Amino acid sequence: MSGMFTQRGINITSLTVSPCEKEGLSRMTVALEGSESELEMVRKQLSNLIEVVKVVDLKESEAIIRDLCLLKVHAKDSEARSEVMQLAESYGAKILDAALDSVTLELTEEPKKIDRFVDLMRHFGVKQLFRTGVTAIGIGAGG
Amino acid sequence: MRGENQGKMAKQKLRGAEIVVEELKTEGAEVAFGIPGGALLDLYDVLYKEEAIRHILMRHEQCAAHAADGYARVSGKAGVCIATSGPGATNLVTGLANANMDSSSVVALTGQVPTSVIGTNAFQESSTFTITMPITKHNFLVKRTEDLPKVIHNAFYIANTGRKGVVLVDLPTDILAGEAKVDLHPKETFAGYKPNIKPNQVQIKRVVETLANAERPLILAGGGVISADAAVELRHLADFLGAPVVTTLMGKGAIPENHPFCLGMAGMHGQLYANRAINECDALLALGTRFSDRTTGWQLDQFAPDATLIHVDIDTAEINKNMQVDIPIVGDVKLALSGITKLLEKKRAKKSGSEWEKRIKKMHSACDSCVEEISREGASVSDILIKEISRILDDDAIVTTEVGQCQMFAAHYYMTKKPRTFISSGGLGTMGFGFPAAIGAKIAAPDKQVVDIAGDGSFLMTCQDMATCVENDIPVVVCLFDNRYLGMVRQFQELFFDKKYAQTGLGITPDFVKLAEAFGCYGERVEKPEDLKDALNNAFKSGKPAVLDMIVGKEDKVLPMIPPGGSITRMIGTERCKRI
Repeated sequence: MSGMFTQRGINITSLTVSPCEKEGLSRMTVALEGSESELEMVRKQLSNLIEVVKVVDLKESEAIIRDLCLLKVHAKDSEARSEVMQLAESYGAKILDAALDSVTLELTEEPKKIDRFVDLMRHFGVKQLFRTGVTAIGIGAGG
Repeated sequence: MRGENQGKMAKQKLRGAEIVVEELKTEGAEVAFGIPGGALLDLYDVLYKEEAIRHILMRHEQCAAHAADGYARVSGKAGVCIATSGPGATNLVTGLANANMDSSSVVALTGQVPTSVIGTNAFQESSTFTITMPITKHNFLVKRTEDLPKVIHNAFYIANTGRKGVVLVDLPTDILAGEAKVDLHPKETFAGYKPNIKPNQVQIKRVVETLANAERPLILAGGGVISADAAVELRHLADFLGAPVVTTLMGKGAIPENHPFCLGMAGMHGQLYANRAINECDALLALGTRFSDRTTGWQLDQFAPDATLIHVDIDTAEINKNMQVDIPIVGDVKLALSGITKLLEKKRAKKSGSEWEKRIKKMHSACDSCVEEISREGASVSDILIKEISRILDDDAIVTTEVGQCQMFAAHYYMTKKPRTFISSGGLGTMGFGFPAAIGAKIAAPDKQVVDIAGDGSFLMTCQDMATCVENDIPVVVCLFDNRYLGMVRQFQELFFDKKYAQTGLGITPDFVKLAEAFGCYGERVEKPEDLKDALNNAFKSGKPAVLDMIVGKEDKVLPMIPPGGSITRMIGTERCKRI
C-alpha cells in the first residue's frame, strides 16, 4: 500500500496497521490531506489493490479520530516539573514517569489537540517525541 | 472429508513443481517462454516430461516477457513467461512493466532462493516481490506449497479479468521441491477483487441521450476495445450513428482503417484530420482509453473543447484521472457498446447524410490521399516503405513494431484492418519490444504472416533471439529501417535542439544481412522501396526467420507531429497535407 502511495506521488500524513474484528484481515488507517479529486483518486487506487477488501472514506467531521503521543519533557527544577505536570493534567495527559530533570507523558487525543499540547511543551524543551499516527472510527452506527 | 470419497476431489500428494504445472494446464497455458536456472530445477524437471505445455527457450528474459506479451495480445489468452531468481527475474522487469502499462495479460513465474535464506543476500537472490510490486497488477511470494493451487489459479484469474495486466508468482526452491496434499483446481478468489463488468444502465441512458442529440459525434477507440473483443460492436455503433472513429496507438485495429468512417490514429503523431475531428466534435465517446498525453497533447483545455465527454473504461481509477469527463461508465466496453446501440436502435436515432458525415467523408479522403500519394514533409523513403508493406501483406498479417520513428511511421501509414494485428509498445515505449513480441505473435498465430517493423537501434537491443527463432522454427520477418541513428531522438534534436545530435548517431553498425545469416536466418538488403516486394516474397518463401535491411534516409522525420508541450490543434509539418 505504501508502495502505491509512492508510485502515485501521494503524500500521506500517517499510516497505521492493526488487526480488526475479523480474523485474517487487518485494518489500515491512512491520514492525508488533498482536494476532493485527489482523494477520489486515492480511494479508487486503493480499491484497485487486490487484497484491499473495502475502502471507507472518513471525513474529519464524521469520525472520532485519535492519535497517541509519548513525550519526554525537560524539567530542570521542581518549579518546571510541577508546571509541566499541571499543564499535562489540564490536557488529560497521563504522567508515565518522572525523573529529577524530566517528565514522561502520554496523551491520546485528536491530532490537533496533541499538536497544541506538544507546542506548549516545547516551551520546557522536548527531549523525545513519539506519535503513532491516527486511527479513526465512524460516529454513530456508520463508518 | 466428503471430497475424499469422490475420487476426483480427493486431495493429492504432489510436488510443488507438479502442482504449478498441473494448474498451468488447467488454466489453458499451452506455451511458456522462459529460461531455466538454479532456482527452477524442480520446475524444469516437471516441464521436461510435460507434453501439453510447449516451452520456448529464449535467449534473454526480457524477450521472454515480451514474447508472452505478444502472445497474449494476439491470442487474447494470458501469456506465460518463466525466469530464474536474481538476474533472471530482474531481466524480466522491463518486459513486465511494458505488458502491464499496455494492460496485457501476462503471468510470470520466477524462481526464488529457499525461504530459509530469503533476506540473506544468498546467491542469485533479488527481492523480486518488492521490485515488481509497482509494475504488476498483483504479485505473490509463495511461502507454503499447499498455497500453490490457489495462487496459480488466481494469477490467471487476476491477469485476465477486469483491466488485464501482469501477475507475477515468486517461487522459492523449497516450495517447488516440497510436497503437499492439495485439492487441485480451486475456485476461491479474493474478497477484495471484484472487477466491474456490467455497466450502469442509468449511465447508458444518459449516453444515448447525448449521442442522439449530438450533431457532431465522434468515437475515440483505445486498446480497451481490442482487449474486450468489441470491434464488431464498435463498427455497429459507428455505422448506426454515422459517427467517425479515431483511435489511439493501442486502439489501432479496433476498426478497419480503410473504413469510410475511420480517420486513423489521433494524437502526437496522428493523422491531421483525426485531431481536427476531435477539435470539431460536440460529443466524444472515449472507449477503453486512458487519455494518455500522447493522445491528448499537453494542453487539455484544447482537447475536444466543445464536446460532451463520455468515458467508458473497465478501470474506475481511469475515470477523471487525466481528463475530467461529463458522463463516465465503468464496465466492459463490449457490454457498454451493445447496450448503447440497442437503446439507440429502439429510439431509431439513426443519423445519416448529415453535414458532419459529409465533412468526415471529405476528411477521410484527405487522409487517404495523404497515405496513398503524398510523400510527407521530411521523409524520403521511410513512409513509402511502410505504405509498400501495407500493400503487400495479407489483410490478417500481424505487424509488431519496435519503438521510435519506425513505430510512428507504422502507426501513421500502416493500414490495420483487423483487431489484434497491430502490436506495439504504447505506454512504456520499450525499444527492443517488437522482435520478441513477434516471436510470441507467431506462436499464437502460426499461419499468419508476422512482420516486425524495426529500427536498427531497437533491433540491436534484442536481436540475440534470432537464435530462438532459428532453433524453434519461428519464421518472423524483421523489416529493419536502417538509418544508423536513434532516429526519433535525433528528430527531436534536429527540431528542438539546434541539430546537436548528442549520442544519437550509431556510427558503425553491423552488416545486418550477414548478422542474420550468421544466426541461420535469411537476410537481404533493400536499397530501394521498389525492391521491397521481391525481398518480402523471398523472405516468406525461405521459410526461415528473416531480416530485411532497408536503407532509409538518415534524416527522415515522422511528420506531422504535436511538438512537446503543444496542443492537439497545432501540428507541425502539415504543409503538404491536403487542405479542406
